[in-house]
Amino acid sequence: MNEFHLTEDQQDCLQELINIAMGQASDQLARYLDTFVYLKVPSIESVAAKDLMKTLSQQKNTMAVVSQGFFGYEGIRGEALLVYQEEGSARIADLLGYEPDELSQDEQLIDISSILTTTFLNVFAQQINNQLSYNAPKLLPNIQEILSEHLQQMPFTWDLALKVNINYQVTDYSFNCNMILLIPETAITNIKHVLDRILEEF
Amino acid sequence: MSPSVLICDDSNMARKQVLRSLPEEWKDSVQIACNGAEALTILRDNSIEILFLDLTMPGIDGIGVLQGIQKLNLNCSVFVISADIQPEMQSKVKALGAKEFMRKPVQADVLLNNLRQHGLL
Repeated sequence: MNEFHLTEDQQDCLQELINIAMGQASDQLARYLDTFVYLKVPSIESVAAKDLMKTLSQQKNTMAVVSQGFFGYEGIRGEALLVYQEEGSARIADLLGYEPDELSQDEQLIDISSILTTTFLNVFAQQINNQLSYNAPKLLPNIQEILSEHLQQMPFTWDLALKVNINYQVTDYSFNCNMILLIPETAITNIKHVLDRILEEF
Repeated sequence: MSPSVLICDDSNMARKQVLRSLPEEWKDSVQIACNGAEALTILRDNSIEILFLDLTMPGIDGIGVLQGIQKLNLNCSVFVISADIQPEMQSKVKALGAKEFMRKPVQADVLLNNLRQHGLL
Protein backbone atom coordinates (compact mmCIF):
# COMPACT_ATOMS: atom_id res chain seq x y z
CA MET A 1 0.00 0.00 0.00
CA ASN A 2 3.05 2.25 0.03
CA GLU A 3 2.14 4.27 -3.03
CA PHE A 4 -1.01 5.53 -1.38
CA HIS A 5 1.12 6.89 1.48
CA LEU A 6 -1.47 5.95 4.04
CA THR A 7 -0.75 6.16 7.74
CA GLU A 8 -1.31 3.02 9.80
CA ASP A 9 -4.64 4.39 11.03
CA GLN A 10 -5.78 5.35 7.53
CA GLN A 11 -4.83 1.89 6.27
CA ASP A 12 -6.75 0.20 9.09
CA CYS A 13 -9.77 2.42 8.44
CA LEU A 14 -9.71 1.72 4.68
CA GLN A 15 -9.37 -2.03 5.31
CA GLU A 16 -12.40 -1.97 7.60
CA LEU A 17 -14.50 0.00 5.07
CA ILE A 18 -13.51 -2.56 2.45
CA ASN A 19 -14.32 -5.49 4.75
CA ILE A 20 -17.81 -4.12 5.34
CA ALA A 21 -18.37 -3.49 1.63
CA MET A 22 -17.05 -6.95 0.77
CA GLY A 23 -19.30 -8.56 3.38
CA GLN A 24 -22.38 -7.09 1.78
CA ALA A 25 -21.20 -7.91 -1.72
CA SER A 26 -20.72 -11.54 -0.63
CA ASP A 27 -24.17 -11.59 0.88
CA GLN A 28 -25.64 -10.47 -2.45
CA LEU A 29 -23.58 -13.05 -4.31
CA ALA A 30 -24.74 -15.76 -1.89
CA ARG A 31 -28.37 -14.78 -2.47
CA TYR A 32 -27.86 -14.79 -6.22
CA LEU A 33 -26.20 -18.21 -6.20
CA ASP A 34 -28.55 -19.43 -3.47
CA THR A 35 -25.68 -20.78 -1.44
CA PHE A 36 -23.30 -19.85 1.35
CA VAL A 37 -20.15 -17.97 0.49
CA TYR A 38 -17.13 -18.49 2.71
CA LEU A 39 -15.40 -15.19 3.15
CA LYS A 40 -11.75 -14.49 3.91
CA VAL A 41 -10.24 -11.16 4.87
CA PRO A 42 -9.59 -9.47 1.51
CA SER A 43 -6.04 -8.26 1.12
CA ILE A 44 -5.48 -4.87 -0.42
CA GLU A 45 -2.47 -3.47 -2.19
CA SER A 46 -1.76 -0.65 -4.54
CA VAL A 47 -0.37 -0.95 -8.05
CA ALA A 48 1.22 1.92 -9.96
CA ALA A 49 -0.33 2.65 -13.35
CA LYS A 50 2.82 1.65 -15.19
CA ASP A 51 2.93 -1.74 -13.47
CA LEU A 52 -0.69 -2.75 -13.93
CA MET A 53 -0.35 -4.44 -17.31
CA LYS A 54 2.63 -6.36 -15.98
CA THR A 55 0.65 -7.41 -12.91
CA LEU A 56 -2.27 -8.55 -15.01
CA SER A 57 -0.18 -10.48 -17.49
CA GLN A 58 1.73 -12.21 -14.68
CA GLN A 59 -1.44 -13.83 -13.47
CA LYS A 60 -1.62 -17.28 -14.94
CA ASN A 61 -4.68 -18.36 -16.86
CA THR A 62 -6.41 -15.04 -16.69
CA MET A 63 -9.42 -15.72 -18.81
CA ALA A 64 -11.63 -12.73 -18.54
CA VAL A 65 -11.80 -9.21 -17.27
CA VAL A 66 -15.08 -7.43 -16.63
CA SER A 67 -14.72 -3.68 -16.57
CA GLN A 68 -17.21 -1.18 -15.17
CA GLY A 69 -16.86 2.57 -14.73
CA PHE A 70 -18.20 4.50 -11.75
CA PHE A 71 -18.48 8.13 -10.78
CA GLY A 72 -19.73 10.09 -7.78
CA TYR A 73 -19.30 13.54 -6.21
CA GLU A 74 -16.16 15.43 -5.34
CA GLY A 75 -13.91 13.90 -7.94
CA ILE A 76 -14.59 10.33 -6.89
CA ARG A 77 -14.50 8.25 -10.04
CA GLY A 78 -12.77 5.26 -11.43
CA GLU A 79 -13.01 1.95 -13.17
CA ALA A 80 -13.52 -1.40 -11.46
CA LEU A 81 -11.94 -4.43 -13.08
CA LEU A 82 -12.88 -7.91 -12.00
CA VAL A 83 -10.22 -10.33 -13.11
CA TYR A 84 -11.08 -14.03 -13.30
CA GLN A 85 -8.92 -17.04 -13.70
CA GLU A 86 -9.98 -19.63 -16.26
CA GLU A 87 -10.60 -22.29 -13.66
CA GLY A 88 -12.72 -19.96 -11.58
CA SER A 89 -15.16 -19.05 -14.27
CA ALA A 90 -15.68 -22.65 -15.36
CA ARG A 91 -16.57 -23.40 -11.76
CA ILE A 92 -19.05 -20.58 -11.62
CA ALA A 93 -20.75 -22.06 -14.66
CA ASP A 94 -20.72 -25.48 -12.97
CA LEU A 95 -22.24 -24.02 -9.88
CA LEU A 96 -25.02 -22.39 -11.80
CA GLY A 97 -25.68 -25.58 -13.72
CA TYR A 98 -24.96 -23.95 -17.04
CA GLU A 99 -23.71 -25.84 -20.02
CA PRO A 100 -20.24 -24.58 -20.67
CA ASP A 101 -21.16 -22.91 -23.92
CA GLU A 102 -19.50 -19.57 -24.25
CA LEU A 103 -22.41 -17.21 -24.41
CA SER A 104 -24.12 -18.12 -21.18
CA GLN A 105 -20.82 -18.25 -19.34
CA ASP A 106 -20.02 -14.74 -20.50
CA GLU A 107 -23.40 -13.50 -19.42
CA GLN A 108 -22.99 -15.12 -16.03
CA LEU A 109 -19.60 -13.52 -15.56
CA ILE A 110 -21.00 -10.11 -16.40
CA ASP A 111 -23.95 -10.57 -14.03
CA ILE A 112 -21.83 -11.79 -11.14
CA SER A 113 -19.27 -9.05 -11.71
CA SER A 114 -21.90 -6.39 -11.73
CA ILE A 115 -23.42 -7.69 -8.47
CA LEU A 116 -20.01 -7.74 -6.80
CA THR A 117 -18.85 -4.40 -8.16
CA THR A 118 -21.98 -2.35 -7.61
CA THR A 119 -22.77 -3.76 -4.15
CA PHE A 120 -19.18 -3.34 -3.06
CA LEU A 121 -18.91 0.20 -4.37
CA ASN A 122 -22.38 1.28 -3.15
CA VAL A 123 -21.59 0.21 0.40
CA PHE A 124 -18.13 1.72 0.21
CA ALA A 125 -19.55 5.01 -1.14
CA GLN A 126 -22.25 5.10 1.53
CA GLN A 127 -19.62 4.88 4.23
CA ILE A 128 -17.71 7.83 2.81
CA ASN A 129 -20.94 9.81 2.27
CA ASN A 130 -20.86 9.58 -1.47
CA GLN A 131 -23.18 8.14 -4.06
CA LEU A 132 -22.13 6.49 -7.29
CA SER A 133 -23.46 5.99 -10.77
CA TYR A 134 -22.26 3.25 -13.07
CA ASN A 135 -21.59 2.58 -16.70
CA ALA A 136 -22.65 -0.70 -18.23
CA PRO A 137 -20.21 -3.53 -17.46
CA LYS A 138 -18.08 -4.72 -20.33
CA LEU A 139 -16.49 -8.12 -20.75
CA LEU A 140 -13.01 -7.93 -22.22
CA PRO A 141 -11.45 -10.98 -23.74
CA ASN A 142 -8.05 -11.65 -22.34
CA ILE A 143 -6.05 -10.53 -25.29
CA GLN A 144 -3.21 -8.37 -24.07
CA GLU A 145 -3.59 -5.72 -26.79
CA ILE A 146 -7.32 -5.27 -26.17
CA LEU A 147 -6.82 -5.04 -22.44
CA SER A 148 -3.95 -2.66 -22.78
CA GLU A 149 -5.88 -0.53 -25.26
CA HIS A 150 -8.91 -0.49 -22.97
CA LEU A 151 -6.78 0.68 -20.06
CA GLN A 152 -5.34 3.47 -22.15
CA GLN A 153 -8.76 4.67 -23.24
CA MET A 154 -10.03 5.55 -19.77
CA PRO A 155 -11.84 8.89 -19.69
CA PHE A 156 -9.57 10.01 -16.85
CA THR A 157 -5.92 9.73 -15.97
CA TRP A 158 -5.42 7.24 -13.25
CA ASP A 159 -2.21 7.09 -11.32
CA LEU A 160 -2.72 4.23 -8.98
CA ALA A 161 -4.83 1.16 -8.80
CA LEU A 162 -6.18 -0.28 -5.60
CA LYS A 163 -6.10 -4.04 -5.92
CA VAL A 164 -8.40 -6.00 -3.65
CA ASN A 165 -7.73 -9.72 -3.67
CA ILE A 166 -10.95 -11.56 -3.11
CA ASN A 167 -11.14 -15.25 -2.46
CA TYR A 168 -14.54 -16.83 -2.45
CA GLN A 169 -15.24 -20.33 -1.45
CA VAL A 170 -18.67 -21.45 -2.46
CA THR A 171 -19.65 -24.77 -0.86
CA ASP A 172 -17.59 -27.35 -2.77
CA TYR A 173 -16.21 -24.83 -5.18
CA SER A 174 -13.73 -22.08 -4.73
CA PHE A 175 -12.87 -19.34 -7.06
CA ASN A 176 -10.49 -16.49 -6.90
CA CYS A 177 -10.97 -13.18 -8.51
CA ASN A 178 -9.29 -9.86 -8.11
CA MET A 179 -11.14 -6.62 -7.98
CA ILE A 180 -8.91 -3.85 -9.22
CA LEU A 181 -10.07 -0.29 -8.76
CA LEU A 182 -8.40 2.24 -10.99
CA ILE A 183 -8.66 5.61 -9.32
CA PRO A 184 -7.29 9.01 -10.28
CA GLU A 185 -5.12 10.99 -7.90
CA THR A 186 -7.95 13.44 -7.01
CA ALA A 187 -10.14 10.56 -5.85
CA ILE A 188 -7.31 9.16 -3.74
CA THR A 189 -6.77 12.54 -2.07
CA ASN A 190 -10.48 12.80 -1.45
CA ILE A 191 -10.66 9.31 0.06
CA LYS A 192 -7.76 10.18 2.38
CA HIS A 193 -9.62 13.28 3.61
CA VAL A 194 -12.69 11.18 4.30
CA LEU A 195 -10.60 8.59 6.16
CA ASP A 196 -9.17 11.38 8.32
CA ARG A 197 -12.67 12.72 8.98
CA ILE A 198 -13.83 9.27 10.08
CA LEU A 199 -10.74 8.80 12.25
CA GLU A 200 -11.28 12.17 13.93
CA GLU A 201 -14.60 10.91 15.26
CA PHE A 202 -12.74 8.53 17.54
CA MET B 1 -20.35 -2.88 39.15
CA SER B 2 -19.08 -2.93 35.59
CA PRO B 3 -18.87 -6.34 33.95
CA SER B 4 -15.58 -7.65 32.58
CA VAL B 5 -15.66 -7.08 28.84
CA LEU B 6 -13.46 -8.34 26.00
CA ILE B 7 -13.49 -6.85 22.50
CA CYS B 8 -11.98 -9.07 19.78
CA ASP B 9 -11.44 -7.64 16.31
CA ASP B 10 -8.43 -7.42 14.01
CA SER B 11 -9.32 -3.84 13.11
CA ASN B 12 -8.35 -1.08 15.49
CA MET B 13 -11.14 1.11 14.14
CA ALA B 14 -13.75 -1.58 14.66
CA ARG B 15 -12.55 -2.09 18.25
CA LYS B 16 -12.87 1.63 18.89
CA GLN B 17 -16.35 1.63 17.40
CA VAL B 18 -17.43 -0.96 19.97
CA LEU B 19 -15.59 0.76 22.79
CA ARG B 20 -17.22 4.15 22.23
CA SER B 21 -20.67 2.53 22.15
CA LEU B 22 -20.28 1.09 25.66
CA PRO B 23 -21.52 2.82 28.83
CA GLU B 24 -18.88 5.25 30.12
CA GLU B 25 -18.46 3.48 33.47
CA TRP B 26 -17.63 0.17 31.73
CA LYS B 27 -14.71 1.48 29.77
CA ASP B 28 -12.02 0.97 32.39
CA SER B 29 -12.62 -2.75 32.62
CA VAL B 30 -12.46 -3.50 28.90
CA GLN B 31 -9.80 -5.81 27.49
CA ILE B 32 -8.76 -5.99 23.87
CA ALA B 33 -7.79 -8.91 21.62
CA CYS B 34 -6.54 -8.41 18.04
CA ASN B 35 -7.22 -11.97 16.90
CA GLY B 36 -8.91 -15.21 17.87
CA ALA B 37 -5.87 -16.77 19.52
CA GLU B 38 -5.39 -13.74 21.78
CA ALA B 39 -9.07 -13.80 22.66
CA LEU B 40 -8.96 -17.46 23.69
CA THR B 41 -5.92 -16.87 25.91
CA ILE B 42 -7.64 -13.97 27.66
CA LEU B 43 -10.89 -15.92 27.97
CA ARG B 44 -9.06 -18.88 29.52
CA ASP B 45 -7.15 -16.84 32.09
CA ASN B 46 -9.79 -14.31 33.08
CA SER B 47 -13.43 -14.57 33.83
CA ILE B 48 -14.92 -12.55 30.98
CA GLU B 49 -18.64 -11.87 31.19
CA ILE B 50 -19.24 -10.18 27.85
CA LEU B 51 -17.38 -10.76 24.58
CA PHE B 52 -17.85 -8.66 21.45
CA LEU B 53 -16.53 -10.84 18.65
CA ASP B 54 -15.63 -10.23 15.01
CA LEU B 55 -15.87 -13.22 12.64
CA THR B 56 -13.57 -12.65 9.69
CA MET B 57 -10.07 -12.58 11.15
CA PRO B 58 -6.79 -14.12 10.05
CA GLY B 59 -5.78 -17.28 11.94
CA ILE B 60 -8.38 -18.39 14.47
CA ASP B 61 -11.56 -16.65 13.35
CA GLY B 62 -14.73 -15.83 15.24
CA ILE B 63 -16.18 -19.28 14.62
CA GLY B 64 -13.01 -20.79 16.10
CA VAL B 65 -13.39 -18.62 19.19
CA LEU B 66 -17.03 -19.67 19.64
CA GLN B 67 -16.00 -23.32 19.36
CA GLY B 68 -13.19 -22.71 21.86
CA ILE B 69 -15.64 -21.18 24.33
CA GLN B 70 -17.85 -24.27 24.04
CA LYS B 71 -14.91 -26.59 24.49
CA LEU B 72 -13.69 -24.70 27.56
CA ASN B 73 -17.26 -24.63 28.82
CA LEU B 74 -17.05 -20.91 29.62
CA ASN B 75 -19.98 -18.92 30.84
CA CYS B 76 -19.64 -15.81 28.70
CA SER B 77 -22.24 -13.79 26.77
CA VAL B 78 -21.02 -13.45 23.20
CA PHE B 79 -22.22 -10.74 20.82
CA VAL B 80 -20.99 -11.21 17.28
CA ILE B 81 -20.28 -8.04 15.31
CA SER B 82 -19.45 -8.84 11.71
CA ALA B 83 -19.38 -7.65 8.13
CA ASP B 84 -20.32 -11.16 6.99
CA ILE B 85 -24.07 -10.69 7.16
CA GLN B 86 -25.24 -13.81 5.32
CA PRO B 87 -28.32 -15.30 7.04
CA GLU B 88 -26.63 -18.70 7.19
CA MET B 89 -23.71 -17.18 9.09
CA GLN B 90 -26.08 -15.48 11.53
CA SER B 91 -27.80 -18.77 12.36
CA LYS B 92 -24.47 -20.56 12.55
CA VAL B 93 -23.09 -18.25 15.24
CA LYS B 94 -26.32 -18.48 17.22
CA ALA B 95 -26.17 -22.26 17.04
CA LEU B 96 -22.66 -21.96 18.47
CA GLY B 97 -23.99 -20.03 21.45
CA ALA B 98 -23.77 -16.36 20.45
CA LYS B 99 -26.51 -14.23 22.03
CA GLU B 100 -26.93 -11.84 19.14
CA PHE B 101 -25.59 -10.94 15.73
CA MET B 102 -24.91 -7.29 14.88
CA ARG B 103 -23.85 -5.99 11.49
CA LYS B 104 -20.87 -3.73 10.99
CA PRO B 105 -20.43 -0.82 11.40
CA VAL B 106 -22.03 -1.30 14.80
CA GLN B 107 -24.41 1.42 16.01
CA ALA B 108 -24.35 2.38 19.69
CA ASP B 109 -28.15 2.19 20.11
CA VAL B 110 -28.32 -1.29 18.57
CA LEU B 111 -25.52 -2.52 20.81
CA LEU B 112 -27.02 -1.05 23.98
CA ASN B 113 -30.48 -2.42 23.11
CA ASN B 114 -29.04 -5.88 22.70
CA LEU B 115 -27.28 -5.66 26.06
CA ARG B 116 -30.55 -4.54 27.67
CA GLN B 117 -32.50 -7.36 26.05
CA HIS B 118 -30.19 -9.88 27.63
CA GLY B 119 -30.37 -8.20 31.03
CA LEU B 120 -26.76 -7.09 30.91
CA LEU B 121 -27.51 -3.39 31.20
